[in-house]
Amino acid sequence: MNDQIRRPEQISPKSSPRGSISPAYQRPDSSGTLKTTISLGKVPSVLHSGPFYLMKEMPVSVGNEITGCTNLIEHYGLEHTYNKFCNKKGKEELSSFLPHLPGCIDTPGMQDNSSLHSLIEKPPITGKEINSLSNTALTSFRLHPGPLPEQYRFMSQMPTKKKHKHKRKRESGTNGALQETTDNPADSHEKPAKHKKTGKAEDNTKEPSGGKKESGRRKKKNKKKKVKDKDEEPQS
Amino acid sequence: MADRFENLEEQLERFIENTRQLGIIVSDFQPQGQNALNQKLQTMVQGMQEIDKMKGQMQDVHVPLEVFEYIDQGKNPNLYTKHCLEKALGKNEQVKGKIDAFKKFKALLVLELSDVFPKEMANYRAMRGDDRPA
Repeated sequence: MNDQIRRPEQISPKSSPRGSISPAYQRPDSSGTLKTTISLGKVPSVLHSGPFYLMKEMPVSVGNEITGCTNLIEHYGLEHTYNKFCNKKGKEELSSFLPHLPGCIDTPGMQDNSSLHSLIEKPPITGKEINSLSNTALTSFRLHPGPLPEQYRFMSQMPTKKKHKHKRKRESGTNGALQETTDNPADSHEKPAKHKKTGKAEDNTKEPSGGKKESGRRKKKNKKKKVKDKDEEPQS
Repeated sequence: MADRFENLEEQLERFIENTRQLGIIVSDFQPQGQNALNQKLQTMVQGMQEIDKMKGQMQDVHVPLEVFEYIDQGKNPNLYTKHCLEKALGKNEQVKGKIDAFKKFKALLVLELSDVFPKEMANYRAMRGDDRPA
């Protein structure tokens, strides 16, 4: 590309497009990236001084530059961290991260409006002083004696306790093989019913206090099974 | 730096334990337990005051919002770290693949152009060899 801006009256084979500058002299450009020479003056012109069109200089690469070629985990010394988090099989439940917290914390926060996301969307009122309760204020905390209604009871049972119940079933089953065989079809018939009932209970209450309900009903059902088994055994 | 997190953790654990005990008292309340209930309530307020005092030490702590999504779903927040590391490694490998592919392409292109335009490529190589910084 040779863009030569010339005035019409100066077009002649004798006149040089570079003005007073000798063509043998290649004035370096200040940026150092273009292979063209732009000369200003009486006859401004843009001349392509290299054999290759739009050829630019290669970028200056420093030896310590971090690119995608380098293994960033090695570079930042995260190998141990990577092995610890990625190669070892860790539990995915929140309760494994916070084992000392009471209650069932593995349930989603949206179920009981305890999500951190809602805390960000609707932040609580802050900036007020936290003062101790006066005696008159404490009088408002006089409660009625007696247990709470079931729907308001706090579920403090941990999920691991359910496993122990299953183990107890198996332990009672190993004493008599007949019990296991009679239990299994009963279990298979009753399992969908159990799920349906628990689903209905959750819909009605919409609170995390359904665990004790389920455990109470299961205990009753286990008692019923044992009674049925005792009735069946003398018949067989 | 680790002390302030340990202190906060201890304070929160005490607060949660106090709340749990309060819940036990309330679940089956007896009139004799009124004093204990009042004491637990006062302890709760004191716990809140202590935790509120600690917020000044945590101003520079930044928590990514994506971790909250994991916690809200009941998942271990270490999973977030694991997924971050895996994504970083995957992206690193992807970019390295691109760089290697472009290098191979450049080598092949220079080879083919040298076959078709030998003189021009010799000039090019000479110019690149002069222009390349040490």
